[in-house]
Amino acid sequence: MMRLAIIPLGLLALLAVAMGWLGRRIDEPPADFRFINSGDIRTLDPQSMSWNQDIRIGYAIYEGLYTLHPQTLKAIPGTAERIDISNDKTIYTFHIRRNAGWTDGRPVLARDFVFAWRRMLEHPGDYTYLLDYIKGAEAYRAAYARFLERPAELPRPDFASVGIEVLDERTLRVSLNHPVTFFPDLLAFPPYFPLHQEAMKPFEQVDPVTGHRTYDMRFMRPPHLQTNGPYRLAAWDFKRRVRLVANEHYWDRANVRSPIIDMIVVEDNKLGEFLRYEAGVVDWVADLAADIAAELLAQGRRDPSRRRQDLHIHPAFGTYFYTFNCLPRFKDGRPNPFSDPRVRRAFAMAIDRRPIIQNVTRLDEQPAYHYVPLRSFPDYPPPRGIPQDLEEARRLLAEAGYPGGKGFPRLKLTFNTGFNHGDVAQIIRRQWRDGLGVELELEGVESGEFSQRLHNVEYAVARASWYGDYDDVSTFTDKYLSTSDNNDSKWANTDYDRLCARAAREPDPAARLALLSQAEQILLEECPILPIYYYVNRSLQKPYVTGIAHSPRNLVMLKAVFAQR
Amino acid sequence: MLKTVVWRIVQFPLILAIIYLLTFALAWMAPGSPFEAGDRKIDPMAEKTLREQFHADKWYKFLGYYPYRILRYGDLGRSMRYQGFTVNEIIGQSLPVSVALGIFALSVATLAGIGVGTLAAVRRGGLFDWLSLSLAMVGISLPSFVAASLLLTLFSVHWPVFPIGRFESLADLVLPGIALSLIPMAYIARLTRVSMIDVLSNDYVRTARAKGLARWAVIWKHCLRNAFLPVLSYLGPAAAATFTGSFVVEKVFDIPGLGQHFVNGVRNRDQTLILGAVMVYSLFLMSFNLLVDIGYTVVDPRIELSKDEG
Repeated sequence: MMRLAIIPLGLLALLAVAMGWLGRRIDEPPADFRFINSGDIRTLDPQSMSWNQDIRIGYAIYEGLYTLHPQTLKAIPGTAERIDISNDKTIYTFHIRRNAGWTDGRPVLARDFVFAWRRMLEHPGDYTYLLDYIKGAEAYRAAYARFLERPAELPRPDFASVGIEVLDERTLRVSLNHPVTFFPDLLAFPPYFPLHQEAMKPFEQVDPVTGHRTYDMRFMRPPHLQTNGPYRLAAWDFKRRVRLVANEHYWDRANVRSPIIDMIVVEDNKLGEFLRYEAGVVDWVADLAADIAAELLAQGRRDPSRRRQDLHIHPAFGTYFYTFNCLPRFKDGRPNPFSDPRVRRAFAMAIDRRPIIQNVTRLDEQPAYHYVPLRSFPDYPPPRGIPQDLEEARRLLAEAGYPGGKGFPRLKLTFNTGFNHGDVAQIIRRQWRDGLGVELELEGVESGEFSQRLHNVEYAVARASWYGDYDDVSTFTDKYLSTSDNNDSKWANTDYDRLCARAAREPDPAARLALLSQAEQILLEECPILPIYYYVNRSLQKPYVTGIAHSPRNLVMLKAVFAQR
Repeated sequence: MLKTVVWRIVQFPLILAIIYLLTFALAWMAPGSPFEAGDRKIDPMAEKTLREQFHADKWYKFLGYYPYRILRYGDLGRSMRYQGFTVNEIIGQSLPVSVALGIFALSVATLAGIGVGTLAAVRRGGLFDWLSLSLAMVGISLPSFVAASLLLTLFSVHWPVFPIGRFESLADLVLPGIALSLIPMAYIARLTRVSMIDVLSNDYVRTARAKGLARWAVIWKHCLRNAFLPVLSYLGPAAAATFTGSFVVEKVFDIPGLGQHFVNGVRNRDQTLILGAVMVYSLFLMSFNLLVDIGYTVVDPRIELSKDEG
């Protein structure tokens, strides 16, 4: 019988070993500020950063020639201390600060920017198109891609054809195709961050035929990663924690308020985030789950004594909407009634957005009758919104050949499962059925498959959303250019394209915004999309925390954040 | 016996290869891209370069690259989603966490399950029997996300006995360990009870009692070993399942274990990570089944593995 005891004893021994292994803890100082980002970061390579949580850390460890003001989030000089702009606003000359240093102590030089930007063009990422404003960049990128396809036949394109010039060690000149009013803002954005070539060298792989360089992504892990921003990446424990420690060689070190910052990873566990905040483990939850925020808000309404001062809900830089397939036929060959703008407009005008906000989202979101979020651009003159008018909607539908919904094919309303997309879809479906006499079938699809269906335009009506990237209206309007990869509706309007193109070249800011407003007016009349509401940002922030700007873009300059416990 | 064990181990690579190919086929055919982020369509050029970097532009390139790397270097490749990390690192960090938790849970489940099952069998028909049977029923039917959330709410929020979201010491293991042990514990209790009742009715038990041995001595010395056999066969798959992590329990208690990678890997279409996690799980399952079969012969020398094979 004693032999049986081997099993539990063996198990216990294994347990002791495993716990011993886990318990290896390194003595380290506590962080001055701790927060929860949305899950773990995905990449710290500026070339492929596009998620908000990555960009937040990106701003902490890197710095562009311009950076964002911690409170206003407007572009201000960053690594460059002086910027000369030509009279026609197409040539920028940057003078890099003498005291700007990488985390390893080496000064930041003009070539660091050239290296990063060139890599971006030769090895494109999600935001490479933002470099296309530079003279010759788009052509170089295309030529280089062709060269990689057929290295034997084609000559290697010459980088000198791109409007990026090193004048001396610390002086960089950039020539643009045309004036770009928001170029400083772009220069502050991750695709324009510099990179430390020597630190990446050990991870470099050179293609023997083309000479094309790629990098093993482990370069972005500590201790290999060298950065030029307010912080250095001290630790990155996968799905557990990221530790940032002030960069002693950063030019503005004196204004880095919290010397050590911990980003605690809580992956896909909304309640866990909230409980940790409540337990005082973290000082800030950057993106509080919408349903928890709604519940806290409702609690405060029922009982004013439980109203939370630390719950922050602010308009966001994004819109929740439905997209219509605008192609004349579906992929299976059936004719598509939504190719008729009257049908789309009828569907858009028949919707009452208030019950969605009152019953489903519950965060006092603004109902959206426009595509560009109204509060994000104070100077933008908004066009006329899509009216809510059921009579007119019925008339339009009848005019298009479907009086009272008769003869309308049975189509599907597609949404990605999860969050509250299903609840929103049910309300919309009911309104279309009761208001227009059109019955749609609901179809919930897993999110990976959903995004593929959306991009391949394999849908009739689908849920969609868009968040802007940089501080300009074009970050929204560009999506519906007929040439845009992100135009999932396949709506194409030459007037819209022309107005956007004119706006892109217009040097006068007010005139530009007027042109973009005219373009949006066309979009709202043709209704390739049905705007539903504007997103809000939700966060929990302890009262003793200062330095977090509650801007629509939901960015934070961590160097200004301070917890006065 | 040795021959049989060796033969079983020789089969491992073949079974693993079949599992690898099946998993790969499923992961490859699933719609969606591991490189896409949110609402944004990835630049076609960027996707192409990434696919080439990951040897994932064509299915035959994938199969030509990764299996070789696995065999030659034991290298499962880089995660397609978390590109700074290799699958080996991710599994290397999370597997010990899951194993520690699994061992704790399985030890609790086995000890408590056998104890409760034996007591219930001995006092068959009594109050304890009835109570333990009902509890076991609840244990089996209660979904683990309910049990886990309940434990967390009660013992971390309401009465803050255990910390939230920390995973450093033995005390942090208790709540998730109990949550994870409930289902196997209930199974083991039921298995033990049934087989113990069976064993207790044997003639040799009566003989042992007749020659004057104390009741508990009979149970301990003569019955438990025989009653343990069905439990042992259940322990193999149970160990494989608990050691490789539970998605639900890990999620509720925020434990950086392996279980989450099965679900997140699939959700992110992270093909390299899915394959790695599935391979590790398969290896565990096969090894524990083998260990259980060897365990049989230790507990009951009458069983010889070679005869089982027939």
